Amino acid sequence: MDIFTLSLWIISALLFIISLMKDKSRTFDSLKKAKKMMSGMAGSIFGILLLIGLILAFIPPVYIESVLGSANVYLGTFLGAIIGAITLIPAFVAFPLAGSFVDAGASLVTAAAFITTLTMVGFVTFPLEKEQFGIKFAFWRNTLSFMLAIIVALGMGFIL
Amino acid sequence: MTKFLLKNKILSFSILAYFILFFSMPDIATTAINQSSYYIKEMFMIMPIVLILSALIETWVPKETIIKTFGSKSGIKGPFFSFLLGSLSAGPIYAAFPVCTTLYKKGAKVSNIVIILSSWAVIKVPMLINEYRFLGGEFMVIRWILTVIAILILGYIMERIIIKEPLEVKAGSKEDKNTLEVDCKLCINCSLCAKQWPKYFIMESKCAKAQVTHLKPKEIKEILPAVKKCPVNAISIN
Repeated sequence: MDIFTLSLWIISALLFIISLMKDKSRTFDSLKKAKKMMSGMAGSIFGILLLIGLILAFIPPVYIESVLGSANVYLGTFLGAIIGAITLIPAFVAFPLAGSFVDAGASLVTAAAFITTLTMVGFVTFPLEKEQFGIKFAFWRNTLSFMLAIIVALGMGFIL
Repeated sequence: MTKFLLKNKILSFSILAYFILFFSMPDIATTAINQSSYYIKEMFMIMPIVLILSALIETWVPKETIIKTFGSKSGIKGPFFSFLLGSLSAGPIYAAFPVCTTLYKKGAKVSNIVIILSSWAVIKVPMLINEYRFLGGEFMVIRWILTVIAILILGYIMERIIIKEPLEVKAGSKEDKNTLEVDCKLCINCSLCAKQWPKYFIMESKCAKAQVTHLKPKEIKEILPAVKKCPVNAISIN
């Protein structure tokens, strides 16, 4: 557990105790709400996580590294953005991975595109986002994020 | 059983895919399971607290506070606190969903919701530390600056796209038959309309309902702020 997750646990525990002292029944009401939210989302999240494992089994990180490391800047950036949009890799795996394909010869622009779409665009989490905010919101947020991620990447190429 | 399968389409699909894979390519299936188990562990570490926090926000933080901090009149405070909240968070992007829906239901602006979601995803502090370690300080700082600008633009555009509809309703409302309606599919039971305009709306078990259906021109003027204020744009005058 990293320090941020840990501190989130501590903060929640403290707030929960304060809430308990202030009003027991309201606290339990909010717990019930949390349970309801969880049961609403659990099925989808579980399915998504299983799907991510599947995607990563077919496109292993080593493969991503070799493809992005050898492609030219434009193709690499485009591919990086696409792969980033499809997969969902935790940050502490993604950065060493991006670092390694930069070492393998990929451009920094490719790395920036990959990291930005990886985190901001969620192809697999799209169904969940749709459920929570509606299809219009989910569609536009992901589409615009993808385009802006490419612009950010190209901007970085320009500056660096 | 079928009901469960239909309700959990993604889950059913994944399980089916695994099932087929176990018979055709058992090696890949095992790798996939190993990969997934890591993410499932991550989920159990983060989701319970995120949900408890969202529920606590829902019960304890008054709607006025949320509107003041993240609502349409929050000014520069809105984006600032949205970036702060997103940056100091932990966990993957789906962990941000319950927090954001709670804030959204309580009157936060679309652009601020987008800022929280995006900064939660791309520029949070734990990520920046990693980025610095593996890609260097210059890379991190420049990407951070450009991404913040991009997120602000994204929030602005999203606000325009999502808000556009009630404005069209407003423009066309004068000549038509002037029936007041609440779309039950969109309503989230926030009861904002029923509290502020009890003459026109009551809360029913599933959603808010319009009490007066045919509006006089004078009443339309009174009700327009309700149309605009509804956080999910469920109220319409046709």
